[in-house]
Amino acid sequence: MPRRTRTTKNLAQRITRDYFKRVFPIAQWRRLLTIIFTVAGLSWLAWHAMAGNPAVYSSGPIKSSHAVFGQNCAACHSSKNTFSAKVTDQSCQSCHDGPVHQAQQVYTPDCATCHVEHSGQTSLARVNDVGCTECHSDLKTKSGKLRVAAKINSFGSGHPEFAAVRPGQHDMGSVKFNHQVHLKKDLRGPRGSNVQMQCTDCHQPQGVTRSLPYGQTEVTDQPGNAQVSTSPHISTRSYMAPVNFNEHCSGCHPLGFDRRFKDAVPHKKPEVVREAVFKKFTEYIAMHPGEIHTVNLDQRIPRRPPLPPPSNAAEWVSQMMGEAEQLLWWKTCKECHRLIYVAGMKVPQVPKAAINARWMKDARFDHQAHRLVNCESCHAKTRSSKDAADILLPGIETCQQCHRPGDSNAAEARCFECHDYHDWSKEKPVNGTLGIHQLISSRATHQ
Amino acid sequence: MRIDTTHRPWLIASLVILGISAAMYMPYAMTTPGGPKGGSFLGLVFGIVGYAFMLFAGLLGARKKVPIWRIGRAKTWMRGHLWLGLLSLPMILFHGGFAWRGPLTAVLMALLFIVVISGLVGAVLQHYLPRLMTQRVPLETIYEEIPHVREQLREEADNLVTSVFGALDGANADVDTMVAVVPLVEIEQEEKEHFRELYIGTMRPFFANPEAPGAELREPQRSAEIFASLRRMLPSSIHTVITDLESICEEERQLNRQARMYRWLHGWLLVHVPLSIVLLVLGGVHAVMALRY
Repeated sequence: MPRRTRTTKNLAQRITRDYFKRVFPIAQWRRLLTIIFTVAGLSWLAWHAMAGNPAVYSSGPIKSSHAVFGQNCAACHSSKNTFSAKVTDQSCQSCHDGPVHQAQQVYTPDCATCHVEHSGQTSLARVNDVGCTECHSDLKTKSGKLRVAAKINSFGSGHPEFAAVRPGQHDMGSVKFNHQVHLKKDLRGPRGSNVQMQCTDCHQPQGVTRSLPYGQTEVTDQPGNAQVSTSPHISTRSYMAPVNFNEHCSGCHPLGFDRRFKDAVPHKKPEVVREAVFKKFTEYIAMHPGEIHTVNLDQRIPRRPPLPPPSNAAEWVSQMMGEAEQLLWWKTCKECHRLIYVAGMKVPQVPKAAINARWMKDARFDHQAHRLVNCESCHAKTRSSKDAADILLPGIETCQQCHRPGDSNAAEARCFECHDYHDWSKEKPVNGTLGIHQLISSRATHQ
Repeated sequence: MRIDTTHRPWLIASLVILGISAAMYMPYAMTTPGGPKGGSFLGLVFGIVGYAFMLFAGLLGARKKVPIWRIGRAKTWMRGHLWLGLLSLPMILFHGGFAWRGPLTAVLMALLFIVVISGLVGAVLQHYLPRLMTQRVPLETIYEEIPHVREQLREEADNLVTSVFGALDGANADVDTMVAVVPLVEIEQEEKEHFRELYIGTMRPFFANPEAPGAELREPQRSAEIFASLRRMLPSSIHTVITDLESICEEERQLNRQARMYRWLHGWLLVHVPLSIVLLVLGGVHAVMALRY
């Protein structure tokens, strides 16, 4: 009976000698798939090339502000008969002016160094801190003089206290004001009522047309105050409008000058006030000639020696003017203004109020963005401030409570949040060079 | 290829390269305005090094095509392929600053991840499966010759059966015409009939297609039961033939196992190799176009 034998010879005879010359399924499939995938990949690129659309080589999606010409790569990637089509500063500056940062800076980066396009939908202005700290972590200037701190690494590291609140700083405004008094309970308000004043009764962002409880109801623009910044990144509502007498004070502090008149004097220069008072008295005595011999001294004025009775209208007006001016210059106006008497001048001089609408000139702040927070959280010293010279701005520590660098659960703390790199006061107008059709031509081709 | 202690120099060198690269990358990423970019000097360096590693890894294929090239030992090439190919991933990640937002760059990164991951899967399989195959397939043959060997096993089984039972109706023509080499053993007609049914109905289909799902003899347990019952049914004088048939079935099962393991051992290459080639080709295009833009 035959048996199975497994000798070396038997086993060797099982193998065909040319087996390695044949191509077997796995190797066949490997070759086939290699060809298919390679051809597919190259066809994909060729298809885009034939469509004249190099967007396939884009390193990422472009910003929405550039999306209108997003398919028209040549709008930014211009090539001048060379292989390279890299974006140059000229390409950016054909639409955007980028004023110089500081005349004394020793290094000026290309636009694309800080403003990285093709990196998603975030704003191009939201640059990384390293763009700033590259210089500011060890600041050098052409002149060798420094106007800002030399070593700033981030908002949380090396950033100095805000200049406005450093020791020895005072509000240089000339108007006297006592916040503590104005925030007292049961303050006497307009028409004899008792009121509790709120911050927003006087402090409103610019352009807000809300009726103000302690002044005239209509809001008037204050020339010279409306423009607090030249930066295009600052909203007109970012800053509080400067307080002014008509809108915020006149309801409780009427500028009366004589009990005969309901009207107050205008809140204008002393010369204008004097002229208005003179006109009022002149008109009044012309209509009431019988009052020439009546003496009616205003009891609000401190007692002083009685004057001789006037003999005619001019004398009466002169006496009344004296009384009114005594009241205005020595009590009413002095309540808020520091008056300067110059020899030979009929009226005192009133220094400009110089109310500062924007304290940190090198930084931006947006009250609108912070409306979630109550005023006193930041302006903590307000309720106890008796002097208008007090600077009631919060210090850097207050801001750092929310704006914590590197903390994803905190408010933004990168440099751009408060600072502009470009000095927008030096911005030059840009004249566009592209027509609408040029701008969107590539997009139209691909739709 | 087993990943053993002989890989230690490669492992150390790879870790050193990775460490140096990471040490260069971190300050570069933290101090570059706008973040790390492929087009920056260091970004380009990482890109060139990463692509060079990929090219080297790809040259293993060429090296295999021309085995007579005396450029280094095959083992060295394989180790270089494994470790430098693996290093290409962090190099390319450093090159792109861990970002791949463009259409082509996203495709390239996806390809690189697939190629590296499939390569790692392959390395693991190549590490464990050969030893497993040695244990579980002692009768291993050349994979490509399995169909040929199976044909011979079928023939061998038929010869064994014919030698005992004579020509079997229903078996293939070769067997029917085959002349018995030994005198036939006296077996009851009923038992002979039963064996014939079993051989034609169960064994031959198994020999014809051993990998067919549902074949009883694919299962060692079931196979043992079938052959045990045959031994009980048939006279002891032909038990040696039954044992031989059982050993042929076992060899078929081992060939099944070998084929399955071989497909695991080489199947990942169907992903790894074609995508590697596409990666190299498209990577070259990316390099040229990125330098332009």
